Amino acid sequence: MDYRVLLMESDRLMLERLSQVINDTPNFSLAARFQNVSDALGQGAVFNPNLILLDIEQPDGMGLIDQFKRAYPTAAILCMGEKWQAENASQSVKAGAKGYIIKPFTGMELQETVETFSRLGGDAGAETLVFFSPKGKSGKTTLIANLAMSLARKTREPVGIIDADLQFGDMAVFFNLAPQTTIVEAVRDARFLSPASLRSYFMPVAPNVSVLCGTPTPNMMDKIAIDKLENLIAMSRSLFRYVLIDVPAGFNPTSIAAAEGSSTTFMVTMINGAYEIDHTKRALDIFRDWADVEERLKVIFTRVEPCDSRSKMELAQKLGYPVAEIIPNEYTIVSDAADKGKMATDIRPDSPLSRQVDRLADQIIGRRHRIRWAAV
Amino acid sequence: MGVFTQEINGVVITFFSTASAVGKTLISTNMASELARQGKKVCLVDFDLQFGDVSNYLQLLPQRTAYDLQQAMNLQGNAVRAEEFLTPYEYHNVVFYVLAAPAKLEEAYNIDADKAMDMVRQLQKVFDYVLVDTTSTFSKLNLALLDLSTIVSFLGIVDFIPTIKNMKIGSETLKKMNYDKNKIRLILNRSNAKTRISIEDVENLLGEPFYHILPNDFQAASRSIKDGVPLVLRSGGSELGEALRDLVARYTNRVYDDTVDEHVPESWLARIFG
Repeated sequence: MDYRVLLMESDRLMLERLSQVINDTPNFSLAARFQNVSDALGQGAVFNPNLILLDIEQPDGMGLIDQFKRAYPTAAILCMGEKWQAENASQSVKAGAKGYIIKPFTGMELQETVETFSRLGGDAGAETLVFFSPKGKSGKTTLIANLAMSLARKTREPVGIIDADLQFGDMAVFFNLAPQTTIVEAVRDARFLSPASLRSYFMPVAPNVSVLCGTPTPNMMDKIAIDKLENLIAMSRSLFRYVLIDVPAGFNPTSIAAAEGSSTTFMVTMINGAYEIDHTKRALDIFRDWADVEERLKVIFTRVEPCDSRSKMELAQKLGYPVAEIIPNEYTIVSDAADKGKMATDIRPDSPLSRQVDRLADQIIGRRHRIRWAAV
Repeated sequence: MGVFTQEINGVVITFFSTASAVGKTLISTNMASELARQGKKVCLVDFDLQFGDVSNYLQLLPQRTAYDLQQAMNLQGNAVRAEEFLTPYEYHNVVFYVLAAPAKLEEAYNIDADKAMDMVRQLQKVFDYVLVDTTSTFSKLNLALLDLSTIVSFLGIVDFIPTIKNMKIGSETLKKMNYDKNKIRLILNRSNAKTRISIEDVENLLGEPFYHILPNDFQAASRSIKDGVPLVLRSGGSELGEALRDLVARYTNRVYDDTVDEHVPESWLARIFG
């Protein structure tokens, strides 16, 4: 597709610079440029632009989005700002823009940003799915990896995984990756990044699935500040349809911040014949402070045998809370897959494990109308 | 002039791991039981503060917890007698004490690492052995505990690659801390569980042999959790119970002696009922 760009930028030098970039980028041409909003709104239509690059760092910048939408109903609007601000980005998308780009940008960044929003279709902004577990060894990393594959397969839309288990993140092992960049570098660089450049920190692992790996050694953990992690998550939302986040077990600043900002938090517990249900119950009590807890907090038990509706009902009764899904005990398939760096659902797509993961994916896809961009 | 007596600080053994569900609580409750059975004064501290299982595994209903102790310390400082905040575990004539994890999660979240360390130091003055159960992370509290400990029992299991990776990261991090070599004891739990990974390969990867290997006995372990009675307190027992006793024998620097049984009341009971 060819983009005819209307550029609205109040700073004269920046206007020149961006004009140059746009004209030098394949498939992009500058249709018109303005330094003054009134001119852009009144005169730009004669050039018939299909993409508007709008500087929103000016008085009532957000309000402009709506005015440009009315003046140019068929054009896509991309907001521009000097630096990434999660709040601006999410607000501009809510106001009807397709995305947000940091200026000055390169031709590559412009292309990637436009590509991202065209792929994401109408409503940009991912659902963030956080996987919380009271204690370790919950089976959540296995679940996340396989669920991401299933979501991507079913929707053909981009799915991102963030391994925020800052000490012992296992995602790199599950996908057999030796990552050059991890969450540490992404967070370190985040203030220089725009969503498009953040994409390169994610490693592609399958069609439409990419992973931001965890820290390689545990002593890096104090390098990640919570506000920066939140910013990273917010930025990732404009890259994917679904962002799945693996957090450390228990209540800690990371897991709390991620859960608070999530569209949905899944509480994952492995049944092991001891006190797992009690732990889940106690953790659940903390989440009951959420006004919309039943909507936003979903309980999953793993290694449930027999994995049938009766077990699911019994677990829900013991817990006193609905159980969203149960995952069977497939130790051999799961460990075999993890040892080979493959996905259990790929090795055995016909297994009960794959079936249950697919069912969970269906539940998540079915809820799409309830996207919450501004949960942060 | 009174007789001068040197203050004695007891042994602190921390049960640590970097993979979860490796059996820290099972092993620490059994070690506490076995040491107590041998007549030692033992306190088991549950510093898996949020989701600790010591009280669950021993079926205790603590009236006071680490949180109450912290509150008292905040008010009274070092005048607090930590032993007043413990819950006894009794089975026949064997007794040891538990400093229980807080009842509420918000209490657990608000335990201060420095205060927690003061608790251990206080208990060291009263007990021969202070055993500490932990979580599987390098948290501030756990790092301080590792420093203070006489012995760190670093537990692992051999199940699948991610676990091995985390054990390796853990053991390398411990090495970086430059502790004396014989302070860290590598213990393998559930050695013959279903896995294709050999113990030799893991030892090669970790760069040292396991100090002790415990056999897989999921049935016996589950039963003892259900009954609330540690395996070593049941005679006529299991292979796992025996291996746990052997482990304790190595910690007390004496070869395990079967005759100990004869001095212990529950062994004749066991002979009758076992």
